[in-house]
Amino acid sequence: MAIAIMLITGIAGAGMYVMKLRADNATLKANQIQLETAITEQNKVLEQQKADFEAIMESNKKLNVLIGTFKKDLDDLDKRFTKKNRDIGKLALERTESIERIVNGGGKNAARCIELASGAEHTEAELKATLKSEINPECPALANPNYVPFQ
Amino acid sequence: MYHFNKILALALIVLLTGCSIGGEKKIKIFSVEEPRKKLDYPMPTPLQMEEIKWIIITSENADEVFKKLEEAGIDPVLFGITDKDFQVLARNFAQIRQKLQETNNLLEEYKKYYEDTGNSK
Repeated sequence: MAIAIMLITGIAGAGMYVMKLRADNATLKANQIQLETAITEQNKVLEQQKADFEAIMESNKKLNVLIGTFKKDLDDLDKRFTKKNRDIGKLALERTESIERIVNGGGKNAARCIELASGAEHTEAELKATLKSEINPECPALANPNYVPFQ
Repeated sequence: MYHFNKILALALIVLLTGCSIGGEKKIKIFSVEEPRKKLDYPMPTPLQMEEIKWIIITSENADEVFKKLEEAGIDPVLFGITDKDFQVLARNFAQIRQKLQETNNLLEEYKKYYEDTGNSK
């Protein structure tokens, strides 16, 4: 009788253990699926982060180049006033009319630079300008993107 | 009496559990991601500058300049700056232009980053 009880108890225990194992297996399978999904999502996030980082680097590079041209434009402007100890006041006294013409031309060019900086479209002549005589000397980098200054 | 008690017990059970038969439907809560509306402003309208005529006036040509102004029907008055201040004015204008360009470029870069790469959150 006791052996029969032990046998039944043993079989029942084994059955319960198998059922527990099956339940564990199902849980582990579900976990596996969730982990795989999480890994795929993480990979997507990492790819997006990489793409964002590259876009930020590219944007930074462009803005740094732009700021570099600003400094050069300002230096060029100063040079036009002071090159070879040039005194614009003295020159205006000696050659009033020609300096007036130059100043008005410069003013016109500077106004065009402001228009372009505010988003105006380039004219065909501005885009085609490759010679020094064709460019807007107030802001060549902005006005004449195809002009490569001779170094 | 025995049957009555049985019926009463059964009726009591039905009364207590009746509402749970069939049961309330389970509420399902799900969320749908609604993308944020784009701030779709057009880019600022480009400026259209008006032309300014500079007149250089010296002690020698002053009379001639004022005479020409009067002949052209313009008030014979000029708002003057020295050659040094002219240089400063040119530099100030160049800096304003550069700031405008920088701001416009930043705006374009932001637009590109948040609209092209889908980082609109």
